[in-house]
Amino acid sequence: MAQVTLRDIRKSFGNVEVLHGISLDIASGEFVSLLGASGCGKTTLLRIVAGLESVSAGSVAIDGREVTPLPPERRDIAMMFQSYALLPHLSVFENVRFPLRMRRLGSREAQRDKVAAALETVQLSHLADRRPRQLSGGQQQRVALARAIVSDPKVLLLDEPLSNLDARLREEMQVELIELHRRLGLTTLFVTHDQEEALSLSDRIILINAGRIEQQGRPEEIYARPATAFASSFLGSANLVPATVEQGDHGPVALLADGQRLPLAPEATARGPATLVLRQEDLMLQIAGSEGLRATIATRVYLGGRIRYVLDLAGSRVSVLAPNDLVFRRGDDVCLAIRPQAVGVLPT
Amino acid sequence: MSDRAENLLLLVPGLFLLTVAFLLPIGQMLVLSVSGPDGPTLQHFTRFLGDPFYLGLLWRTVRLSLIITVICAAIGFPLAYIMAHVGPRQRLWLVVLVILPLMTSVVIRSFGWMVLLARSGPVPELARDLGLAGRSFALMNTEAAIVIGMVQVLLPFMTLSILGVISRIDRRLEEAARTMGCGFLAAVGTVVLPLALPGIVAGSLLVFTLSASSFVTPSLLGGPRLQVLAGSIYNAVTQTLEWPFAAAQAVILFAGILLLLVPYIQLTARRHG
Amino acid sequence: MVRAVPPALRIAAWVFVAATALFLLAPLVVVAGVSVSESQFIAFPPDGLTLRWYEEVLASDAYLAAAALSLQVAVLVTLAATIVGGAAAIALHRRRLPGSDALATAFLSPLVLPTIIYAIGMLMLWSALFGPVSLLTLALSHTVIALPYVVRTTLAVLAESDPFLEEAARTMGAGRLQRLFHVVVPQCLPGLAAGAFFAFNISFDEAVLSLFLRKPGLTTLPVQIYGQLEFSPDPSVAAVSTIMIGVTVLLIVVIDRLLGLQRFASP
Repeated sequence: MAQVTLRDIRKSFGNVEVLHGISLDIASGEFVSLLGASGCGKTTLLRIVAGLESVSAGSVAIDGREVTPLPPERRDIAMMFQSYALLPHLSVFENVRFPLRMRRLGSREAQRDKVAAALETVQLSHLADRRPRQLSGGQQQRVALARAIVSDPKVLLLDEPLSNLDARLREEMQVELIELHRRLGLTTLFVTHDQEEALSLSDRIILINAGRIEQQGRPEEIYARPATAFASSFLGSANLVPATVEQGDHGPVALLADGQRLPLAPEATARGPATLVLRQEDLMLQIAGSEGLRATIATRVYLGGRIRYVLDLAGSRVSVLAPNDLVFRRGDDVCLAIRPQAVGVLPT
Repeated sequence: MSDRAENLLLLVPGLFLLTVAFLLPIGQMLVLSVSGPDGPTLQHFTRFLGDPFYLGLLWRTVRLSLIITVICAAIGFPLAYIMAHVGPRQRLWLVVLVILPLMTSVVIRSFGWMVLLARSGPVPELARDLGLAGRSFALMNTEAAIVIGMVQVLLPFMTLSILGVISRIDRRLEEAARTMGCGFLAAVGTVVLPLALPGIVAGSLLVFTLSASSFVTPSLLGGPRLQVLAGSIYNAVTQTLEWPFAAAQAVILFAGILLLLVPYIQLTARRHG
Repeated sequence: MVRAVPPALRIAAWVFVAATALFLLAPLVVVAGVSVSESQFIAFPPDGLTLRWYEEVLASDAYLAAAALSLQVAVLVTLAATIVGGAAAIALHRRRLPGSDALATAFLSPLVLPTIIYAIGMLMLWSALFGPVSLLTLALSHTVIALPYVVRTTLAVLAESDPFLEEAARTMGAGRLQRLFHVVVPQCLPGLAAGAFFAFNISFDEAVLSLFLRKPGLTTLPVQIYGQLEFSPDPSVAAVSTIMIGVTVLLIVVIDRLLGLQRFASP
């Protein structure tokens, strides 16, 4: 298992630069997610580590060795594609054996043992003789996974592997990936646009925005303390409300557009115009007259177990989730309460 | 080796073959068509274009090709329409029906017509039995025979060309026309036919080109007295051994085809561009 | 099926299809019929049934020599066209070279040029460079006209293949040659095979090229038949022709198994 080092990676397609100087280090055995919206460059970055794309500038090193000029077949990697890319004319067994054959790893018997072990790990031993087209989507995905781990690569690269699965299968596979990583400890680079997925799987998240690293850190850190407006809106379901922070009698206070005042935690040192980050799950919805900020119900969205209310708070739209035993209607006045410690403050 | 080098390596044998064994022969033919004992000359062309016999031959070739093309289109369109609208099993049989003659040798097919249209053949017999013709009626060695034989040979080309286009027409357009009050035939005429036109035109070009350059069927079914351009070329090459003259005739044929193809390509390019 | 077709039209349609079917198949049926006729003269319907014409054909030196030549050429053509055309199709599919579209058109161009024009050119060039024609001339020229068919069928199969397979193979350690043999060629195998059978059929049945590029002793089967037809044919010609039809039917069946003939119903 290795560390991966990227130094100042730049990539242009024609005249368009899509990666603007990305540097990062991945420790041996770490599970790192590249998280971002479509088109932010995360897949390009992954393909650069794989060697499927060349760099316009910068360097890639795996296990201390510079691999930038090397093609994928000479890097000790394994990659799982979004569409699985199983070879249709080979059986499941032969598909999983393919990397061992191509890299000429071990004797035929040794290869057979490794394939059997990999299939055992993904629980597909009983389907070893089938062809890919005879398998379901979830099973094909497992074959792709087995194929990726069988050669014991230095780096495991996963390109949005769970996007094609339905919600239930995706949750199952996420659990399996976590188990697999715990057992094998492979250095893993995982690309996704789904923040919940990144939060649940990763040791570290790298949030990418328009070809640059917006923020990186452990999932708990990023979620609790998003550093920018983009990070806040991408991770967790945050509401952004403009305000002015002043020094009040008992500590910092945020002054909203309609004059309401919201007490802040003493740690909030910024003063002046700012953006407040109010997460949906931190907001408590109460009937009018209770303690808290005054707001009006604009829209109600029934979600089954819960209801989402979109409120008008001091001229901003704010979403809140509430249990479905509280029923408000459009136009009702309500109160929003939030602990001062849960309010994020981003100076503008 | 880079990606580009690998692909180049894969292409080179084919490109080499095409250049050496395809382009060069055509070039040689062009050169020969203007060659004379004292250097480049147009005498072969003037000989052809100045002689009423040869002009008559050219006219017959063009005339017959036009007739063949029209008949193929008239039969091909309904056939393609039907093929596009039947179920998959029936369509498969129809495809086989259309492809089978296409894949047998043209010599064999012409032979079949020779038998069918001879004086003692079943078709004239039938005509006589029905009282449509006299005792010594034969279709062999007539222009009609050439047309009949060529239509059978070329109908598959027209049909497949039109079928390709019709199968891409949205079925619901016809249905919409029907709900707006069109009868079945009217719907076909106002919706399918205009949309199928590119296929009909492409097929017509193909059929016209193939029939204008056709040799085996016209010579077997038309006989030596009803020569077409291709037959004249064959004569000049094998009987009278006047190769430059043969080359000139081939160039005339080639030019005629290009005359049709070039505006067609420009028209379709503009529509797609 | 478009419903609400007036029943009269539907009947007319089936009559039309039947008539067309008859028209398209009649010559082939007739030839087969003549081949078993007792009479010395070509007649249809056949009077009496016999297989003696087939016996004559199979004992005739001229026909056997022609068949042998046709087979030799066809095998050479099949090999050459499949390898050269397959390689070209793979390169064209990858579209890494500038002008891939123009190149693809170039490879399909022999389809557009009338065979007679090509035949003359080939004869004249060969005579000018090498003198008398030979089996090589036939094989070469047949390969040129068969090439587009192989390219077309192979490209069609490649177009439907997963574009990520080669990349995946690279991440699994496959080098260039390995990728070609283990991924690309297996991918287009049905197209290659179908193209090969097309090539065989085209060469075997090819008449015009072979008529121009012949000399005594260099007669293919279609040329032999043509020669017989110009003079006074007896039913042995029909017997040979029927055998050739049989070969064609076999090839169609094989191509259907490999590729599915539905492909030709919609390009």
